[in-house]
Amino acid sequence: MADALAAAPAPAARRGSGEVVVTGAAAACAYGRGTEALVSGVLSGQPAFAPVQRFDVSARRVRFAATMPGLPDLLTEVTRAAAQACDDAGLSSADRGRTPLFLAIHGDPAIARAPDAAKLGLGPEPFAAAVANGCGLGEQDIRCYTSACVAASTAIGDAASMIARGHADRVVVAGGYLVESDQFALFDAGRVLADDGQVRPFSAGRRGLLLGDGVGAVVVESLQAARARRAPPLARLAGWGRTGDAYHPVQPHPEGRGMARAVTAALQRAGIAAGHLGYINAHGSGTGHSDPAETNALRLALGDAAADVPVSSTKALHGQSLEASGVLELIVTMLAARNGMLPVNAGFLGPDDSCRLNLVLHEPLGATAEFSMSLNAALGGANTALVVGLP
Amino acid sequence: MTSPASIAPPGLAALHAAAAAAGLTVSASASWPQTGADGEVPALAGFIESNFSPLLAEVAARALRGRARPQGPGNVTAIVMVTALGDVTSAVRVAAAVDAGKRVSPLMFFQSVPNAVAGYLAVRWQLTGPVVCVSGIRAGLDVAALLIEDADADEALVVCIDLAVTSGDRDRAAAILVTGPADRERHRTG
Repeated sequence: MADALAAAPAPAARRGSGEVVVTGAAAACAYGRGTEALVSGVLSGQPAFAPVQRFDVSARRVRFAATMPGLPDLLTEVTRAAAQACDDAGLSSADRGRTPLFLAIHGDPAIARAPDAAKLGLGPEPFAAAVANGCGLGEQDIRCYTSACVAASTAIGDAASMIARGHADRVVVAGGYLVESDQFALFDAGRVLADDGQVRPFSAGRRGLLLGDGVGAVVVESLQAARARRAPPLARLAGWGRTGDAYHPVQPHPEGRGMARAVTAALQRAGIAAGHLGYINAHGSGTGHSDPAETNALRLALGDAAADVPVSSTKALHGQSLEASGVLELIVTMLAARNGMLPVNAGFLGPDDSCRLNLVLHEPLGATAEFSMSLNAALGGANTALVVGLP
Repeated sequence: MTSPASIAPPGLAALHAAAAAAGLTVSASASWPQTGADGEVPALAGFIESNFSPLLAEVAARALRGRARPQGPGNVTAIVMVTALGDVTSAVRVAAAVDAGKRVSPLMFFQSVPNAVAGYLAVRWQLTGPVVCVSGIRAGLDVAALLIEDADADEALVVCIDLAVTSGDRDRAAAILVTGPADRERHRTG
């Protein structure tokens, strides 16, 4: 299978000529609500994992996750984040009414326990319509992405591509996952959760991932539209790549070939060389197979620059937010670069020869990263790369 | 939130029309049920208790077997899955196990997201393009068109699927293989 991929020439990624920016962002996670809570939590270097109180985990092998207090409601949290991102971007009511919502979500949490007849109304689209309605976004052209851990990053890439081609002026991309009993049981049964209660990406002794609440929203917009309404960009969304491994139903390509193609496509669209990257927020799940594959992908795509560019996976801090990961981690990447402080790769015990990267260890790294990259991968061999630049 | 009357995927005629409206050319298509012989969905190794992944794999295979032209090694095919409710059967089984305090099968972990069967398809048919799952056929076709326009794929396999959730309904799926407008001439002559 690797031979088939090797034989396939990598076509040059194309993009439209329009510049794409992010003009608003909002988030919620175990560190609290708001992007300030997310950034200060991540830069504290203190992982947010604790014993799960939200539901019964007594029958589970692993009992840790990164959760907000109490029983937050997914619809309320996603609607709040989308509205806050619109506020952050300074969007008027009229602007919002013309802006579609792309929502990354596993599904309506109520569907599995609803009566059969009610299930028809509990798909992602009615959920997204309720979010859009709750924050004044247009209910036309709503789109839901449910492709697991690349759902939100794929939605962001698609929004950027549409805007660059002039198919849209602006899209709000939101994602949400709140830790609940069913996915927790599935991940526990799949034996992918870290039984030592810590996520240790790229580290010797890593034992798996841990789930975390994650809600995020960004306003993705054409630079022209942002300028027309005098909205200052938070970041440029310079490049994007999405690829598939075609290697295994649930394992990544061990040489990272699919992810390497996503990285290359994102760099091509951004029009930059690997050496221009000042930070990579890695997928870094902390699992045995995934971290070496990602390391190989970075070596393959970046060449010598892979040894130099600072890398961390903030999943070791806020946890794995499944469908929402891509938007939460893009916000972390974007705001870390703006602040000139790169978050640590927490949980590190020691080097693993299969994961040799320039990891940010011990404390946040003060650095100027004109361009940064956020990576995500999912079951099925799906990969995404997003490149953001300082505005 | 209002309940739609049905979440059944569009029939093939509607799918062809929607693809044309999105500027796409259909090179192969298939559906389930396609004939009266389509009763039990063929099992798919590694996937249990739900027809979602086996049916998706079956209808995709039917479309891919009907490809009009041989595929070169450089041909990149994206997988775009379209579903209103996803694998609701698996979701219900997992919830029932959790509520009863029972353990969940590890196999259910993998099939809890549509990506796993997409990964199976990608390996089986060497579909090396992006993997996406969205709700709504228009969204699915727009994503396919965008991936082709951006040179992330030469063609896209768009599979629409939804399982029966009420009595009297049945599991339904349809798949089309689409290329972009630039490929229309190549199809006509090739």
